[in-house]
Amino acid sequence: MDRQAILNELKIVLEPYTEDKEMLREINDGTDLVKDLKINSANLVDIIIDAEAKYNVEIDMDSAEKMTTVGSCIDVIMTKMAK
Amino acid sequence: MTVKSAGNDIVALELIDKERSERPAFYSKILSTDEQALYKRKESGEMPFEIYLWLLWSIKESVYKYKKRSSPGLSFCPAKIIVQHIDPPSGPSPAISPGPWDIDSYEGDELYEGRILFGSEVFYSRSMIHKEWIATVAGDDNRFEGISWGVKMIGRAEYEHQSASVREFVLAKLELLSPGHDWQITKNQVGCPILVKSGAPLNIPLSLAHHDRYVAYSFPSGHPQFSSPHPQSPVPHQRLQRMTGT
Repeated sequence: MDRQAILNELKIVLEPYTEDKEMLREINDGTDLVKDLKINSANLVDIIIDAEAKYNVEIDMDSAEKMTTVGSCIDVIMTKMAK
Repeated sequence: MTVKSAGNDIVALELIDKERSERPAFYSKILSTDEQALYKRKESGEMPFEIYLWLLWSIKESVYKYKKRSSPGLSFCPAKIIVQHIDPPSGPSPAISPGPWDIDSYEGDELYEGRILFGSEVFYSRSMIHKEWIATVAGDDNRFEGISWGVKMIGRAEYEHQSASVREFVLAKLELLSPGHDWQITKNQVGCPILVKSGAPLNIPLSLAHHDRYVAYSFPSGHPQFSSPHPQSPVPHQRLQRMTGT
């Protein structure tokens, strides 16, 4: 699965947690989950859990800490799927 | 005393997913094994697990926000901020007036008191658990002298409304503390909120939080900029009240 495919799927994962649907359609690697998508920090663990379920991976604490942008989310997911 | 930073958080309990909060895969990303054991020992009092989980979340996020001002590159990893101890309120659970809640005295017996380890640094917290929300303020001095802390319910939960409402809430408090100035809120070079008085940025840290229909702030109102006598307010804020007979 390539980066673009994961990015498209991330839009579905992130959808319940942002009210800015227009920004969500335009996300790219640099999009910040909190600053740009205005996702409340209380939902960050939800997103990690949803990503774990969707890709059947386990995201450890150190990896989860890096998941602040769309690009870093994709990096973590691809790394975990490669294992 | 110079307060170097400010950190607070609020969690709207209506948005908490109780079933998800009870899943080990979820809570283990927030709580360390020691914190899970702390819940079982019930040292912080009797409470449902999801309330304990989100109480600790609010403590951890408050500490993170306090620390981020001096460490702008810091990422939030709740499991690395360790709550070592929580003292429950010494009094019975209070019933709270409808708000807004203005909590600038920490001598009451309504608050949970926490001690937190983050790396090699020790932090402290004060939290209130209301039937609709959990609010926390954190700092590196356990006395919390001169820290002003407010919680308010707002009409709608849209982000822009939350953001505007919490700023209006702070500005109303500032007008009470130091009336007659043009107070504004801006961000410093690393993106943390600071206060501006009559056009001059002040080195007074401010922490803002919002979740669903609740907003909250904390800042050091013991700063010399607020040293003028406090005027009597016509009522903009209600003091935290314990209702008798409930």
